[in-house]
Amino acid sequence: MYKLVLISKYLRRKLAPMFAAFAVLLCTMMVIIVISVMGGFLDVLRSSVREITGDVVVDAGSYTGFTRYQELIDAAEALPEVEAATPIIRSYGLINFDGQVMTVAIEGIRPEGLDRVVSYRDSLHWEKQDLLDDFDRRREGKALEDWEVEYRQRLEGMDLEAWGMSLENPYVREAPAGGTPHGGVVIGIEVSPYSMRDTQGRYNIIDAAIGRDVALTVVPVTDRGMVSMSGPQTLQLTVLNEYKSGLYEVDANTVFVPFDLLQQRLEMDAAQKVDDFGEPTGELTPPRATQVIFKAAPGYSADQAALAIDAIVQDLQREYQDMPPWVRVRTWQQRHQQILNAVENEKGLVTFLFAFIGLVAVVFVAVTFWLIVVSKTRDIGVLRAIGASRAGIMGVFLGYGLAIGIVGSLLGLLGAVAIVTNLNPIQEWLYAWFGWRMWNPQTYYFDRIPDTVNPTEVTVIVLCAILASLLGALIPAIRAAWQRPVDALRYE
Amino acid sequence: MTDSNIEHRTSKMQASGLHKHYRLGGQDLHVLRGVDLHVADREFLAILGRSGSGKSTLLHLLGGLDRPDQGSVAFNGDDVFRYSGGRLDRYRNRHVGFVFQFYHLLPELSALENVLISAMIGTPTLVWPGQKRDLRERATNLLDRMGLKDRLRHKPAKLSGGERQRVAIARALMNEPDVLLADEPTGNLDADTSASIIEVFRQLHAEGQTLVMVTHDQSVADVADRTLTLTRGRLESTSS
Repeated sequence: MYKLVLISKYLRRKLAPMFAAFAVLLCTMMVIIVISVMGGFLDVLRSSVREITGDVVVDAGSYTGFTRYQELIDAAEALPEVEAATPIIRSYGLINFDGQVMTVAIEGIRPEGLDRVVSYRDSLHWEKQDLLDDFDRRREGKALEDWEVEYRQRLEGMDLEAWGMSLENPYVREAPAGGTPHGGVVIGIEVSPYSMRDTQGRYNIIDAAIGRDVALTVVPVTDRGMVSMSGPQTLQLTVLNEYKSGLYEVDANTVFVPFDLLQQRLEMDAAQKVDDFGEPTGELTPPRATQVIFKAAPGYSADQAALAIDAIVQDLQREYQDMPPWVRVRTWQQRHQQILNAVENEKGLVTFLFAFIGLVAVVFVAVTFWLIVVSKTRDIGVLRAIGASRAGIMGVFLGYGLAIGIVGSLLGLLGAVAIVTNLNPIQEWLYAWFGWRMWNPQTYYFDRIPDTVNPTEVTVIVLCAILASLLGALIPAIRAAWQRPVDALRYE
Repeated sequence: MTDSNIEHRTSKMQASGLHKHYRLGGQDLHVLRGVDLHVADREFLAILGRSGSGKSTLLHLLGGLDRPDQGSVAFNGDDVFRYSGGRLDRYRNRHVGFVFQFYHLLPELSALENVLISAMIGTPTLVWPGQKRDLRERATNLLDRMGLKDRLRHKPAKLSGGERQRVAIARALMNEPDVLLADEPTGNLDADTSASIIEVFRQLHAEGQTLVMVTHDQSVADVADRTLTLTRGRLESTSS
C-alpha cells in the first residue's frame, strides 16, 4: 500500500518526473507520427498499385503479346477463384499535343471489362458536374446571355464519365484527308502539358485537355517481333476525360484507347497468315493481347486465384502451339515487388532510426531516476529503518517508472493521433500563415499526406515506450534497493 | 529503581560481544570492542557517550539496521542477525521503533501519513482496506497525544523541530514496538523543546514502554532508569 501512496506523492510533487514523462511523450509521439505517415504512404501505394493492375496479371513480358487471351478469360471466369478478367494491349508511342510530342504508355482497354477488374470508372477524374460548377462559378452573379444559356445546355449534354467509359468519340468530325475518323482517348491527368495543379494540389477544369485533338503514333510489331511492313501508324483521337490513379508515374505517362482500335492499328487482330514471301497461306493468325488482368473472387486471395489461372495457362499452352511458353502468371505483389519492397524497407529503416532516437527517452528516464534516487537516499534509509523491504523499495521506483511510462506514452499517443489525423489541415494552416508547405502536392505522388493510424503498430509503440521507461528506472531502482540503510540514513 | 530490580525482569534484548569497525581515511576505526548489553522489559536505558564514540552504531546494531563484525543481538532468544531478510524487515517494522536526531520524516507526506506509513509497510495491501480505519484512528490518537491534533495535514516543512520530533515519536510508536530506540532525540532541539520531548519519553516509560536512548547529554540521560557510558568501544555502568 505504501508503494502506491509514495508513487502518487512523488508523481505530484516533483518536476523531474514531469520532464521524464515529457521525454517519453515526445519520443512516443515522434515514432507514432513517423510510422503512421510511412505506413500510410505504403498503404496508399499498395492500394493504388493494386487498383491499377488487378489481383493477378498474365503477360508475356513482350510487346508482341500472346494469343488465346479470350480462351483464357472465358476459362478463368468460369473458375470460382476469379470474379472478372479483361484483356489489355500495352504499347508505347508518341502523343502529339498541339505540336508538343511526348512518349507515352498506351493501354488498349475495354472500359466496362476493365471497370469490373479495377476501379477504372472511379479513376476518371472529371464529371459532368465539374464543367457545370466551373461555368456557374465564373458566371456567378451575372445575367446569362442567350448564347451562354445555350452553351450551358451543351455542357449538360457532356457526360464526361460516360465518354470515358465508352471511349467513343461523341464529336462529329470529318476524317482528315487520307486519315481515319477521330476516336476517343482518356489520358493520364499529368500527360497534358496544359494540366496544372494549384497549391492545394487540385486540378482546374479550365486547364483540362477535354475536347482537344491529339495524334498518337504507334509502331506495329508482328508476332515474330519484327516491325510491320506498314510502318508507324497514327491515330487521330479526341480527349474525352482524364485519368487519375494517384500514382504520378501512371498519371504522367499513360493514355487509354479502345482495345479493338489499338489491336487493329498494331496489327494484333486476327489476320491472314502470310508466308516468308508475303503470300497469304489461307490460315488466320489468332488475335493477340499483351496482358490479361484478373480480379480474385471474394473470399479468395490473389495467390489462390493466380494458382488456378496458372493451371489454365498451362492447359492452353499444351493445347495451342501458337501460345508462347513464356507467358507468366503473377500476383500484383509479385508484379510490383521492387517498388513495394523499396518503400517497405524505407519504412523499416526510418522506424529503426527513430526507435534508436527513442533510446534518448530511456537514457533520459534513467538519468532522471538516478537523480531522484540520489535525492531520495535518506528517505530510502528511513523507509528501510521502519521495515520496508528491498523489494518494496525497488517496487516504489519501478512503479514510479511505470507510471511515468504510462502517463508519457498515453499522452504521446493522444498527441500523435491528434497530429496525424490533422496533418493536412495543419499543413494548410502552416501554408496560410507562414507560406511554408511541408508536403508539396505538386511534387509528390499523392495529393494528401497519409493520415491513418494503425492500431496494432500504435499499441506496440506504446508498450515499448512503457517498457523503455521501466528499463530506464530499473538500474536506479536496484541501486535504491541495495543501499545499506545506515549508509542511506547518513547520506548528506 | 535499582540495577538489581531490573536484573530480575524478563530480558527484551541482549547484545553479546559486539564488535564493529569502519575504515575511514585509510585507517581502521574500531568503534565497538566487545559490547555486552542487556535491556530488560519496561526498562528505560540511556547510553551516554561523546560524539563519535559509537553510540549510534550500537543503536543501529540493536535495531537491525547494520551488521556487526562480530557478536550477536538476541531478541526473544533469537539472534536477529540470523534472521532472513524478510524477517529482519518485520523485526524493524514490528518489534523496534526508531527515533532519530534529525527526525527523518518523509517530506512529501503529511504528519498523519508519516505516522501511518510504518503501519502501511507492515500491512499487506489486500488487508489494508479492512484495517485502514482503525489504523488511521490510532495514528490520529498518537498525534493527538503528542499535542499535534491540529497538525495532522501539515507537511514536515510546516512543522517546528519539536513538532517534527513528536511526529517521529508517534511514527515509532505506531506499530506498538517492543523497544523504542532513540538516537540523540533532543540533539537538534532547544532546551525547552528538549524538556518536552524528554517528558514524552518519561511518560511512555511510565506506561511500560521499553526504551533505549543514546545521548551525549548527561541531563537527558538522567531521566533513564539506568545509564551506561560508551568509552573506547566498551560500555561501563555509570548510574542507577
